[in-house]
Amino acid sequence: MTRRIFWAIFGVAMVMMLAAIGLVFGMMNAYFSAERRDNLRSQAVFIGAGIQASGFEYLERMPISSERITWIDEDGMVLFDNKANPEKMDNHRAREEVVAAFENGEGFGGRYSKTLSEKTVYYALKLENNTVVRISELTISPVALFFTMTQPLAFILALAIFFSIFLALKTAKKITKPINDIDLEQPELAVVYDELTPLLRRIAVQNKQIYWQMRELKCQKQEFDTITSNMQEGLLVLDAQGDVLSYNIGAMQLMGIETSRAQANVFQLNRSEGFRRSVESALAGVHREETIQIDGKICKIFANPVFQEDTLEGAILLLFDITEQEERERLRREFTANVSHELKTPLTSISGFAEIMKNGMVQGEDVPRFAGKIYDEAQRLIQMIQDIIKLSKLDEKQSIMEKEAVDLEVLVQETVKRLEPIAQKKGITISVVTQPAVFTGVKQVLQEMLYNLCDNAIRYNYENGKVTISMENKEKEIVITVSDSGMGIAPANQSRVFERFYRANESRSKETEGTGLGLSIVKHGAMLHDAKINLTSELGKGTKMKLVFPK
Amino acid sequence: MVRSRFDSQLEQLDVEMIKMGALCEEAINASMKAFLENDDVAAQIASEKENEIDRKEREIEALCMRLLLQQQPVARDLRLISSALKMISDMERIGDQAADIAEITAFLKDNDTKSKVHIRDMGIAAIKMVTESVDSFVNKDMKLAKSVMEYDDVLDNLFVEVKQELIDLIGKDKANGEFCIDLIMIAKYLERIGDHATNIAEWVEYSITGSHVKMAMEEGNK
Repeated sequence: MTRRIFWAIFGVAMVMMLAAIGLVFGMMNAYFSAERRDNLRSQAVFIGAGIQASGFEYLERMPISSERITWIDEDGMVLFDNKANPEKMDNHRAREEVVAAFENGEGFGGRYSKTLSEKTVYYALKLENNTVVRISELTISPVALFFTMTQPLAFILALAIFFSIFLALKTAKKITKPINDIDLEQPELAVVYDELTPLLRRIAVQNKQIYWQMRELKCQKQEFDTITSNMQEGLLVLDAQGDVLSYNIGAMQLMGIETSRAQANVFQLNRSEGFRRSVESALAGVHREETIQIDGKICKIFANPVFQEDTLEGAILLLFDITEQEERERLRREFTANVSHELKTPLTSISGFAEIMKNGMVQGEDVPRFAGKIYDEAQRLIQMIQDIIKLSKLDEKQSIMEKEAVDLEVLVQETVKRLEPIAQKKGITISVVTQPAVFTGVKQVLQEMLYNLCDNAIRYNYENGKVTISMENKEKEIVITVSDSGMGIAPANQSRVFERFYRANESRSKETEGTGLGLSIVKHGAMLHDAKINLTSELGKGTKMKLVFPK
Repeated sequence: MVRSRFDSQLEQLDVEMIKMGALCEEAINASMKAFLENDDVAAQIASEKENEIDRKEREIEALCMRLLLQQQPVARDLRLISSALKMISDMERIGDQAADIAEITAFLKDNDTKSKVHIRDMGIAAIKMVTESVDSFVNKDMKLAKSVMEYDDVLDNLFVEVKQELIDLIGKDKANGEFCIDLIMIAKYLERIGDHATNIAEWVEYSITGSHVKMAMEEGNK
């Protein structure tokens, strides 16, 4: 703006200056040339009178003057010249001013020098004796005159530039200040130039439009946020470059990222291989699903491209935490594999013994022994299937199992009585310390739990070991503790003994004959009764199982 | 707000660098998996990742050149681009060395010498350094970059330890010689990977602050 104003001002100044110079020059030049002509004429008249009176004598007597005086006869021959030798000069008859003098009695002429810097002005006067006297004077030409003035002209130019800049700056500031001071929130209230009123009116209308659009967008965003923030699943909306446009809290929690860092490129949030593949695929326009791990969590990603009229606008990512699901799935797979394996073992034995008998390879007296083995294995099979059925019942938490008031003291004594024979075989002494306690639970399940715990305490004990069963009836909970002096469980295995079919020591599983499901049943039973199991064990010294039932 | 083309190109550079960094992490993870678990598939993956890393390096290089020539960046942007150019060559070396490790593992399959030395620890340390150096770039995290530089000492000490262990092993049984030499090469590669991760961290620092540790040290020596 300042520049434009500058050029306008400067331009006007220049035009005015040039016009003024031209006008002054023209007028001055005309005035001075007229003056000079009059001057030359009066001199010529004067000299002509002299010549007519005394001829050559007058001319020779004349003082040396700046003007050049030439005397020409009627043939054009030069009779006299005060600045040159007349004999060497050529005929002057054809000169413009001489011709005019012979015709009209007087004549003017002017010729420029080669450089145009000088102009010679001639005046010729016809005398009565039919000769012509000519006076010429050297003057500076207007062009040369102009050049002599360059210095003052340059000064004026500089002055013009300076004032133009100054004025331009000042004017620009003056013009823009009220415009800058307009309050764009309320443009209709501003008092500025009338020329701006249509613009201000338009701004006011647009302001209103923007306000309503913003409000609408805000409402929509709020709606969207409310919906997405209540989602468990993670949601990320990306633009075509992969920058995060929108996200929900679920996504940030899943990816373990603070929300302050969310507005970035999606690869800054996660750059793991599966994640990258799915995002790149979606941004290339192809749907993709991947399962990835983030900080130990297993996540499923659905990446979908977003198209708008055939052009890719971005992508939507949905993240699901499937850690639990995956874990359950893994346990289920393991259980199925284990069950088939565990069921197969006794069946193989049964089949083997039966085959030998079928082939008649068993003598009559050996039949009871073989049949006994088949019976034992079949019993084990039945036991295992019963355990599995119990477990699956506990799994489903069937309502068939109605809770009732159970006298735990009686339950403990009954259990001990049932296990006494086995304990005696190993020479194990069982000591019981109980308090009267009544608990509301499923009798069958509680019995099973106690039985399994005590059974384990005996089974995984040394010969002549000790098992202690104690029960405390506290204010808020009932605590049953079963401790033994057995072989104990290594720390690494302690967390796994409650898994189905898990045995702390695989090599001993045959001789101890368990189904591998006992503690699993205890765990599920405890879950059914909201009880806690506490396991402390030291390898080679013994194990202590504590069941805490809340009242 | 309309983003300028330059800004979006710079952001693209950032994203490509992150992807290349991620590839490096995957390469070294795969090669360590190949090494520790005798996993042929992982070895294959490591060498594929190396090719991918090389491709990415050329892509990023071209992008940097385009930015330098067309936009003629100054100050911070220029620093960012020049440090990116340096970083990708370090990343490319990491990829190469990861592939080299994977290649050697084929000869070490039926030998349990590796379990007797601390190479596993070196692998874990190297992976940690690469991951953290890339993280420091992604988050422009000076503190993390510094900690990567410091962690290089841990890896260097481990290398010395592994070297001593291997010398002892050769001393005990000369038949182990060949395996031990292969192992020392792997250890050396891991140690180099740590150095490259340190370099990356240094360039991260340079791109943020404009001062480079080594340059500053040289200045100090003068």
